Amino acid sequence: MNLILVTFIILLAFTSYYFGRKKALVIQSSQRLTALPKFYGYYLAAWCAVPALIIFVLWSVFEPSIVKTFILQDYTDQNLTKNELQLIYTKVKALAAGTYTGNITNFLDESANKYIQLKGIANSAKVAIILAILIFSLSFAYRSVQKNDRMREPVEIFLKWVLFVASLGAVLVTIGIIFSLLFEAIRFFQAVKIFDFIFGTHWYPAKTFVRDGQPDPELMKDAFGAVPLFAGTFFIAFIAMCVAIPIGLLSGIYLSEYAGRGVRKYAKPIIEILAGIPTVVYGFFAALTVGPFVKEIGNAMGLEVSSESALAAGAVMGVMIIPFISSLSDDVITAVPQNLRDGSYAMGATKSETVKKVIFPAALPGIVGSILLAVSRAVGETMIVVMASGLAANLTMNPLESTSTITAQIVVILIGDQQFGDPKTQSAFALGISLFIVTLFLNVIALSVVKKYREKYE
Amino acid sequence: MSKIKAENVNVYYGSKQALFDVSIDIAEKEVTALIGPSGCGKSTFLRCLNRMNDVIDICRVEGSIKMDNLELNSRKLDVVRLRENVGMVFQKPNPFPKTIYENVAYGPTIHGIAQSKEEMDQIVETSLKKAALWNEVKDRLDEIGTGLSGGQQQRLCIARAISVSPEVILMDEPCSALDPIATAQIEELIDDLKKEVTIVIVTHSMSQAARVSQKTGFFHLGKLIEFGSTDKIFKNPDKQQTQDYITGRFG
Repeated sequence: MNLILVTFIILLAFTSYYFGRKKALVIQSSQRLTALPKFYGYYLAAWCAVPALIIFVLWSVFEPSIVKTFILQDYTDQNLTKNELQLIYTKVKALAAGTYTGNITNFLDESANKYIQLKGIANSAKVAIILAILIFSLSFAYRSVQKNDRMREPVEIFLKWVLFVASLGAVLVTIGIIFSLLFEAIRFFQAVKIFDFIFGTHWYPAKTFVRDGQPDPELMKDAFGAVPLFAGTFFIAFIAMCVAIPIGLLSGIYLSEYAGRGVRKYAKPIIEILAGIPTVVYGFFAALTVGPFVKEIGNAMGLEVSSESALAAGAVMGVMIIPFISSLSDDVITAVPQNLRDGSYAMGATKSETVKKVIFPAALPGIVGSILLAVSRAVGETMIVVMASGLAANLTMNPLESTSTITAQIVVILIGDQQFGDPKTQSAFALGISLFIVTLFLNVIALSVVKKYREKYE
Repeated sequence: MSKIKAENVNVYYGSKQALFDVSIDIAEKEVTALIGPSGCGKSTFLRCLNRMNDVIDICRVEGSIKMDNLELNSRKLDVVRLRENVGMVFQKPNPFPKTIYENVAYGPTIHGIAQSKEEMDQIVETSLKKAALWNEVKDRLDEIGTGLSGGQQQRLCIARAISVSPEVILMDEPCSALDPIATAQIEELIDDLKKEVTIVIVTHSMSQAARVSQKTGFFHLGKLIEFGSTDKIFKNPDKQQTQDYITGRFG
């Protein structure tokens, strides 16, 4: 039903576009048009589609709750709790749809009939109202087309609003995510002191699990210390950067300054393929290939290596990040003006001297920016860590031991059974928002560094 | 006395020929101007003299260019040494995004000319003085070179070029991005410099060629049409084409 209605509105809008344009061509024969004929079409189409679709969306949003209120009116005298009412409403809906399998009481049956009836009325009313609006707005718009009103401005204003609504939507969603993180995190910090979270050195949320009833506050105090997670996160990111920065940067310099056109044409896409590999593939590569390899090498040297090591996860993560750094630094190096290179060569500098003394310093801010973006990517990486570095939050600086990160712990907390309102579940939100703050901070620095770099050359 | 002697120089960009059998004798401690319409090959020829065409992959140079009997167009030539002897100033001022001091010290550093900090200071000061920039920047040598005005930047580039005491300086339209006052300063500077160095200047401005040069070569469509003393080229050229260009009938 809804699908037919929407399709109808859209088809009508297309038709009115052609109709409006045709009308404009007719007007053209007797008087000067106020805009190109297609603007008349846009004007009519916009007036046709937008009011009807807005009403349609509003109706669809509010209809269920209004129907629900009507149905549940019959139950107000029974002193039911909110949850029980919700259950009844679900039963009524299921009964109406014919998928209910429980006991059917008279009362329920009556409500279901009422539900079907209400739905029917609502549907016809919806169709009627939308048709009325279509007729009204189309005739209004058609009249101004007929009068040959100014068409360009309303269409431009309409387009401006479309763009505004799109960007507003993006911003609101972001704000919504941040607030939902924030509220849950605040509830978590009501159960666990923020001091214990930031400075605690033990992360073991599983031990707070108590069947029925509140967990012991003493236990809570010692279970949610995020220090091992932050340490693990930055430690693994550090290992990753140790791999990614030298290789990425040197290959970026090679590609932009040394490689011939042929090499560059093939090498750059191949390096960028690395960025296209799904992280889960990197994850099992780290867990099943690199991890055991590291363990074997370590054992051969007489070291004790766990099969899930920070080293394996960090190294593979570094490989994943190489294309970020090489591609971005290649771009910023290529953006260094050619006349600086010419100036240096003309002084008799060799290629490596030119790279070292002129190009690298000139591109440095951009390179730093790309590295910071890569760090925030490393900090936020999840899959590789979950698969290759283990889940036990050890506070260690030994790359051969297993350690865990913020992202990996969020996964651990939220897979399997969990209870909402449980501090263990809420701790995921606290971790999420701390991670968000860290990466936001890195991104802001990176962007401001890159901006500064741009200003220098413009 | 001849400093650079080019014979039958042909230059190709890929399959396109940019210079046709150019032969020219550039005299020592004089200013030689190369004029001609855009795309006539004068800059291409200039870039042959310090092998800057090496930077362009598809560029190929044939013929002989001798500087003091040293063949420049040879694979065996030490390009770094050549460029130490043949400096270059570009159309658009291109100081490095470093301090004024570092800009001038760049050449002496990479060629290992200065033995001590004092010597380097001395080189920087002399070069800036020769480039008539010292008085304007002596109190702010540690400021970024790109922060200077266009004319100052170009004089900084000249100071950078003369810091390694080259025998030849090539100038590729050095004033085309500058205002008339800055242009006059640079022209004055060129006049001073020619006491010590040989200068080859490419210019679009015929009045500039007439003002600063002793010899002038007129290029058209990759060929050297006429070469001779500036006086003769501007007052009484042999070729009709030169006459037409000088008097502004084409180009």
